[in-house]
Amino acid sequence: MKNLFKLIRRFVGMLLLSSPLILLLNLLLLGLLTSRQAPNADPWTMAQQAAEALQLSPEGCSLPEPLEQSLENEGIWAVYIDNHTLRAAWQTKNLPDCIPASYTAADIARLTRGYMEDYPTFTGVGQSGLMVLGYPKQSYWKNLWPSWDYQLIAGLPALLLLFVLMNLLMLVLIYLMAISKLLKSIQPITDGIQDLGACRPVYIRQEGPLSEIALHINRASERLQFQNFQLRRRETARVNWIAGVSHDIRTPLSMVMGYAAQLQKDVRLPQEARGRAEVILKQSERMKNLIGDLNLASRLEYNMQPIEKRPENMLMLVRQAAVDFINLQQEERYPVQWEEERPPAGCTVCADGRLIQRAVTNLLQNCVNHNEQGCTIYLSLLEEGGNCIVSVEDDGAGVSDSQLKRLKGPLQDGSGGAFWQQHGLGLSIVRQIAASHGGRLELFRSAHGGFAARLILPVKKGSE
Amino acid sequence: MAEDYLKTKRILLVDDERELLQLLETILREDGFTSICTAQSAAEALRAAEDRPPALAVLDVMLPDGDGFSLLRRLREEGDYPVLFLSARGEEEDRLQGFGLGADDYIVKPFLPRELLFRIAAVLRRSYREENPCICLQGSEIDFSRAEVIKNGETLPLTAKEHALLSALYQADGRIVTIDALCAAAWGDNPFGYENSLMAHIRRIREKIEENPSQPLSLITVKGLGYRLLVKRK
Repeated sequence: MKNLFKLIRRFVGMLLLSSPLILLLNLLLLGLLTSRQAPNADPWTMAQQAAEALQLSPEGCSLPEPLEQSLENEGIWAVYIDNHTLRAAWQTKNLPDCIPASYTAADIARLTRGYMEDYPTFTGVGQSGLMVLGYPKQSYWKNLWPSWDYQLIAGLPALLLLFVLMNLLMLVLIYLMAISKLLKSIQPITDGIQDLGACRPVYIRQEGPLSEIALHINRASERLQFQNFQLRRRETARVNWIAGVSHDIRTPLSMVMGYAAQLQKDVRLPQEARGRAEVILKQSERMKNLIGDLNLASRLEYNMQPIEKRPENMLMLVRQAAVDFINLQQEERYPVQWEEERPPAGCTVCADGRLIQRAVTNLLQNCVNHNEQGCTIYLSLLEEGGNCIVSVEDDGAGVSDSQLKRLKGPLQDGSGGAFWQQHGLGLSIVRQIAASHGGRLELFRSAHGGFAARLILPVKKGSE
Repeated sequence: MAEDYLKTKRILLVDDERELLQLLETILREDGFTSICTAQSAAEALRAAEDRPPALAVLDVMLPDGDGFSLLRRLREEGDYPVLFLSARGEEEDRLQGFGLGADDYIVKPFLPRELLFRIAAVLRRSYREENPCICLQGSEIDFSRAEVIKNGETLPLTAKEHALLSALYQADGRIVTIDALCAAAWGDNPFGYENSLMAHIRRIREKIEENPSQPLSLITVKGLGYRLLVKRK
């Protein structure tokens, strides 16, 4: 909607700018037209020329032949009124009969200002009289009252400016009135498009000038909702399928693990057989972890894992995860060393405690999974730059550059599937958990020689 | 794993899988439990509990004639003994429902036998505390019922905090107990800010139970994480 108002603002701006331009154009056109209409001044010029050209002699007056001819051709009659006698001292041959031969001062004033017997008349001052040219009727319109209030003329610039402003205001008002209805129709359309983008269901009333667009948006919304529903149903089916399969595997795997553990500690069995039982047990444990990871990964991926965030003390969560991990270890090949002398006791994050513990456990388990020969795990917790950083490092085999690059890449690139299968889902779950808490997972080589992972979560803000 | 006095407790195992029941029974019997009864359905479990109430019940969540949660409610009507769920359903909602109904623990299949034994022993120990015997350490003995330590023939009384801390450590059966869990055991649910007090109490406990408190053999520090109490089996 912000963009729409911006658009309207720009449009009004353009309109306001274009109005003076149009006005200027009009003035130019008017100037051009009036300049072409310069012949309007001709009658007066002609009258003056005729007055000056009239040759006065005791035998009589005469106009030069070409001038008289031109007057005749245009149907103009002329009469020269003597200053002293106020009588016609000379006249053209085509002088209408209705034109008198003698004049009063009032006649002269009238004919100068306007018409004589409906003939538009123009005057020019000669040596001893007044030349009057009578143009054909309806050839000119004359303004009979050509006078203006002085104040009006003096205030003309301000008046013109006021006119321009009034015109502009009028233009804007007309524009706003014209578009107000359009705006009313656009508002629900833009809201609808925004809702479409957010995958919210949309229904716009199909009326007004934009009803067709509303219809198409409604259809698009219906289709999107349907597709979302289908997608959700498919995702739910997939998650349920994984949950179902993992559920069905759990009970038989319990028996495999249970009996393998029994055989592994049965002193009556030969050492070799006990060793094999131990292999079965270890592999079963891997399967157990895999089932749990697979289930959680699918739930996280499809947003079906309820994430209940609340303020959690990070130190407590990390300690508990580490202690649970150590307590479950069968051998002491993976000692955990706490690196911080004074860990941040008050480091609080807004998180789902169980998921964070799971992430830390996965990082610890990752050290075990990739270091068959055993390794020391270094654990630390830091508060730095508004983040809570859990660091899990080991002095084991570590990773190659190419492996590290692939681990840092997207989870589902073209070849990623096989790679992540090989490396378990553990790290990908940590990454998903970090992301769902607004944090991230960083992977690199440890200064201890092995692999290092840093789970970075934002520290809880006061308002959260 | 469990102390001898706990091994005579009657355990009721309920699961619809016969083979799994056999496995559970084998695991428990091999660990020394002597009184075990099994049931493959809710009805069988109710009958068995009616005949002779168990000291602890291990229930599967999915049973052919109902679910473990309703069975727990029915069993609780008969007697107030600890119940532990053993389920293939590991979803958070199921765990919460189990704990919400008052289950004492919830184990998700598959499980390692020693994990199961540890959890059963821990629940039994918590529930039948009055029968706690004296425990033997490297250089001393602790009598929890009298809150005393006997070292070199000398009797040293334990303070309430020391008793609470030692009980929490003892119940963990040699496993590490986090600093936070120990603070919670001694100072309640809001254990923050007691770490230094905890260290002081641990030092005093060591003075009482260890022959050489600067080189402890029974109460071991796991740096940054917690403590563990190593008990000598009688």
